[in-house]
Amino acid sequence: MTHAVGARVRALVLWLVAGLLLAVWAFPVLWGLLTSFKTERDVLAYPPTVLFEPTLDNYREVIFGGSSILPNLWSSFVVSTAATLLTMLFAVPAAYALARLRYPAKRGSGFYVLATQMLPPVGLIIPYYLVLQGIGWLDTYSGLTAIYLTFSLPFAIWLMVSYFEDIPMEMEEAALLDRAGRLRTLWYVILPQVRGGIAVTTIFVFLNAWNEFLFAVVLGGNNVRPVTVAMFNFISVEQTQWARLAAGAMLAMAPVILIGLVAQRHIVKGLTVGAVKGGGRR
Amino acid sequence: MQLKREPAARSARPIRTLASQERRFALALLVPALLVLLLTTTTPLVYLVWNSLHRLDLGMPWLSGFAGLENYTRMGSDPRFWNSLWLTVVYTGSTVVLQVLIGLSLALLVLQIPRGQGVLRVAAILPIVLAPVVVGLFWRTLVLAPDFGLVDVASRALGMGSHNWLGDPQLALISVIAIHTWQWTPFAFLVLLATLATLPPDVYEAARLDRAGAWQRFFHITLPLIRPAIVMVVILRMMTALSAFAAIFAATGGGPGSATEILNLYAYRTSFTELNLGYGASLAVVLMAITLAISFLMFRLRRAR
Repeated sequence: MTHAVGARVRALVLWLVAGLLLAVWAFPVLWGLLTSFKTERDVLAYPPTVLFEPTLDNYREVIFGGSSILPNLWSSFVVSTAATLLTMLFAVPAAYALARLRYPAKRGSGFYVLATQMLPPVGLIIPYYLVLQGIGWLDTYSGLTAIYLTFSLPFAIWLMVSYFEDIPMEMEEAALLDRAGRLRTLWYVILPQVRGGIAVTTIFVFLNAWNEFLFAVVLGGNNVRPVTVAMFNFISVEQTQWARLAAGAMLAMAPVILIGLVAQRHIVKGLTVGAVKGGGRR
Repeated sequence: MQLKREPAARSARPIRTLASQERRFALALLVPALLVLLLTTTTPLVYLVWNSLHRLDLGMPWLSGFAGLENYTRMGSDPRFWNSLWLTVVYTGSTVVLQVLIGLSLALLVLQIPRGQGVLRVAAILPIVLAPVVVGLFWRTLVLAPDFGLVDVASRALGMGSHNWLGDPQLALISVIAIHTWQWTPFAFLVLLATLATLPPDVYEAARLDRAGAWQRFFHITLPLIRPAIVMVVILRMMTALSAFAAIFAATGGGPGSATEILNLYAYRTSFTELNLGYGASLAVVLMAITLAISFLMFRLRRAR
């Protein structure tokens, strides 16, 4: 009997802690969502209120109003999409070579790719700024897209390597024995096998590009102003527009939250990529 | 090396030809990506080092010129540099330790919950996918703002009074550490939870039969088994902490004063607020050197195990 009570208390404690956990992580986001439907007056009510008359004014303002972030969403979309496409174009073939083919300096080239992923962005921003300024690419889509490759390409290569390594060797050997030719084998036999991996990698590269801030704020401008930079529109020295900021942030983060929920099972893999292989061996 | 392609050689398919064919194919696939990386990461790195050897102040362009190691010797007597270096150590060390400790405890706990793990996992993913800059702004307004932020409301309700969480130098450092820990602990939690779930249950059964206590089981069985995963989490978290920028930039901008100015922020502010690109470049070089040295060390450490 006492045993059963003890087990129940234990289960209750576990649930409480789990609930707390959930609250701590989900709360700021949920609170932001709630705030985005408040008037600026309701935002500043004390104590904070959960019961209020919801309004869509903030969304109307950040979509159609004077502080519309639509152009910024468009900038983010263009840069992220272009960077993602280019990244995949370069990353998939390279990853296949790293994962499957024998060639000299294989270890070295793999390590090189990994090392480029380690470079902190702040470290490289000065040369990027000077070079883009020199060739007149500051505040252009081409400039920002090219720079985004610096962090997305190593990441994509290593993530794709892990997917290529998962497919059985026999298939490509059989195809090669049939004299299918290497390129045709890659295209018709191998790539269909890693379709899922390509999808996941594409999603993550897009997510990283969408969330990028440092390069966007230094190398962008009035022309190309991704949405992460536009968030600061709602904050000035005199006044913070809380509810509009919340609405803007919700719009800006909607795509990545959606991606996160859809791809949640792959997230751990996406985040640990590189480190698993970093030791040089699996 | 000759790249022959006679029909005879193809029909015979000697191993040699096959190998060289594979080599050529591999290079054709790899070289474009390597060229891009060379152009976008290595060349800028060289250019960065070059700039760090120059006087390059956009505020005083007439002084520009080669300066040798002047920028580096200047660091020695720059208290702001030493402060930023110290803050980088504190920030990286504390966030990594906190993430691993909290993440591991939570993973061990959640593992015992029979149902509802899925919901927790979804909640854990939320902070990870958010842009750090948005996280910083969220915390600055909704969570930490005096009077209206959730933390301040809680603090007042608990009788601890209202605080300027991001405006008080000491609290500001704790606050930015809390923000980083909040955003990235779910990562440690998810990885360790996934690792713990794959541990063989029979080992525990045997240990229980041997009357090993819960702590004994943890220290002698669980910990050694998940050590590789912990090392991996530490490496990755360190890398993220060392390149942290956007969340701090959004929350405090490095301030008040230089209270939260880790090396990243100092290099940025020097270059793009004070427009001293030469000195900023030398700070960036130091940052690069530290990051690469640490990652090299960590990987060596990991391979030695």
